[in-house]
Amino acid sequence: MTATTIQLQASGIGLQMDKRWLWRELDLCVSEPCFIAVTGSSGAGKTSLLRCLSGQLSPSEGIIKRGPDTTAMIHQDLQLTNGATCLMNALGGCLGRHSFLSTLLSFPTAERSAAKTLLGQFGLSGKESQWASTLSRGERQRLAICRALLARPSILLADEPVASLDSQWGERVLKFLKETIVQAGGFLICSLHDESQVNRFADQRLHLDSNLPNGWSLQSMGGEVQI
Amino acid sequence: MTSRLPWHSRFDLLGVTFLLFLAGALGSIPGIEGAGRELDHWGNLSRFASQFFPPDLSILDRTLDGLVETLRIAMVSTFWAIFISLFLSLGAARNVSPPWILWPTRMVLNVIRTIPSLLWALLAVVIVGSNSLAGVIALTFYSVGYLAKFFSEAFESADLQAQQALRSLGATPLQAFRHGLWPNARPVIWSHCLWMLEYNFRSASIIGYVGAGGIGLHLKLYAESADSWNKFSLVLLCILVIVTILDFTGEKIRQSLRNKLEGKAD
Repeated sequence: MTATTIQLQASGIGLQMDKRWLWRELDLCVSEPCFIAVTGSSGAGKTSLLRCLSGQLSPSEGIIKRGPDTTAMIHQDLQLTNGATCLMNALGGCLGRHSFLSTLLSFPTAERSAAKTLLGQFGLSGKESQWASTLSRGERQRLAICRALLARPSILLADEPVASLDSQWGERVLKFLKETIVQAGGFLICSLHDESQVNRFADQRLHLDSNLPNGWSLQSMGGEVQI
Repeated sequence: MTSRLPWHSRFDLLGVTFLLFLAGALGSIPGIEGAGRELDHWGNLSRFASQFFPPDLSILDRTLDGLVETLRIAMVSTFWAIFISLFLSLGAARNVSPPWILWPTRMVLNVIRTIPSLLWALLAVVIVGSNSLAGVIALTFYSVGYLAKFFSEAFESADLQAQQALRSLGATPLQAFRHGLWPNARPVIWSHCLWMLEYNFRSASIIGYVGAGGIGLHLKLYAESADSWNKFSLVLLCILVIVTILDFTGEKIRQSLRNKLEGKAD
């Protein structure tokens, strides 16, 4: 994975919902590995922007070009498989690398051990065989992050990935994400509410204005936590 | 200024259908006729019921053999019904199959459900003779009509978000179904299987009446010989015990699965 092959370029994109423009003429070009924090008040369209960038939603105007590399998204509502164990949920991230038959009953040993290691790093060791539905909200959030990381994405879009975590876990997770994704030459685009987390981790900040669709701004931050 | 709601806004689907049902039920009462003669209803009932007691324990061994055969019929037929229904239910689930598979499959299931278990048993007895295999065939067909419908509803009502999330992570549609939808639908599906097993045990107790094996044959023999109502009552009592055990165990398992899926403590 190299920085030159990874591309995510949004040119003049806008999104209209219920006859209201959330944002318009938004340009975003990421070519160097970085952590971009998306900020703005509730209803400014942060989630919709991330969904557009991940390809799950089409913008009403403009073009988004994505490179060939893997994109993963951590959803705000987590979207876990409640009736499956922690381990199986995490392993869902690696499905794209394997055929249906090789994952029908079990997963390759290497993937299983990678998933177990990751779950351990996120404080979920010992809960591998527990159903996702029985975990706390914070544990479920960490599980969703593990699943996305196991996809080994070059571009990770995270919708408020630390909203349900305490400040200590929030810092640990953001540091881990920045180290894992950005250090490997990828991009981390993450919607955040906490100003101190934005200042500490973000290299750039994309701020959306809920009152002014064209009022978005992109500024360099030079986050304190450098990789 | 307050705006008045239109008069018909009070009638939602629930209200209208309940009123229709109530009108239908009350309107049907005058059409139900008795014998038209003065009969001693309570006297008849008490004389008949007294013949049930005490249950004749001398036939306990024979009855237990019949119950074991009934249980076997119920288990084997439920097993085959689950197996067949899993495939058919995929065809009948709106979120899994395209319309050209969906509607023909649903039509087939409707036809299967239209035929009552006793008729399936008669058909099976005609084909394979009077034995427990006829019972298995009859109840398998009968159960498929219901299980496939229940399974398809379980797939349709399961949380689809996990499936979509896995698709966005690069999973194929089959992988997303296996790891995103199936685990969420599985507890509901197993609950239906347990219910069907209970139901099939009850049905297997009846289809023996037409020669499809099981304890039903015993019931028929004792009902036809006038002085054997105390034997008949013992068979009923044994069926009641088994049904109660199955019902109690099934409910416990179902409750536990529901709680686990909803993240509640047992």
